[in-house]
Amino acid sequence: MILRFHREVYAGTAIDAALGRFAALASTRFDRSEDGDYFVVEVTAKTEARSRRVALELGNFALGLTIEQGGPDR
Amino acid sequence: MSESLLGMPPGRVEADIGEAAVTLTVPGAVYPLPAVYAAAYCFIARCYVLVDRDGEDLRVVLTAKDPAGIHGGAQGLRALVGEFANELLASAWRREITRQNRGLIESVTMQAFGAAMGPPSLDDLEAFDFSDEPFDDPLGIAQSWEDKYRKPKPAGSEPGPEGGEEQGGA
Repeated sequence: MILRFHREVYAGTAIDAALGRFAALASTRFDRSEDGDYFVVEVTAKTEARSRRVALELGNFALGLTIEQGGPDR
Repeated sequence: MSESLLGMPPGRVEADIGEAAVTLTVPGAVYPLPAVYAAAYCFIARCYVLVDRDGEDLRVVLTAKDPAGIHGGAQGLRALVGEFANELLASAWRREITRQNRGLIESVTMQAFGAAMGPPSLDDLEAFDFSDEPFDDPLGIAQSWEDKYRKPKPAGSEPGPEGGEEQGGA
């Protein structure tokens, strides 16, 4: 599953921190890239359902960290 | 498959009942990003929340973590959207109240710090009541042993010299 985080909404540092937390998940790969105004994260797991679940959890984690740090990076 | 929810503004709310997900388009001119953050934060425990920008507007995708908890499909999603909209409005309004009262809040805070830090003026000193008791002592904690346990004088006796025979040995 591919997640697209807009730069004006999500902090890149928060996404990196979230990826760091999720990196220990077994059999799950995270590929981070950038596409214009978006940070792009592709989550690949054993099954599509697991990919989706992990991706959505990652999105929540990144949003929570972004909010806690007061918004996107300046 | 996306479809509109009954009772919701057309074009602002799209529901995907199969995925237990709903997409709201929030006008950025009405609801600033911090208000959307505040509302989204309240829903992180119940939903997967994704926020995206669409020009001036913001797009919020809420996906129920427990689809079985969304009772009644469209009805449950409508309730979810309604709760989010209420929280969004409350967040935006709290932010507006804070903005309107910012001057007052800063003034009160400055006065509090100023009173704690600044020396009193001559007028303040002149108005100060130095004759006032330093503190109340209803339990007599600040009293000396002699004052507290002094034997009462018998009625009709001559007042003796201060610190006389009333002061017995301990």
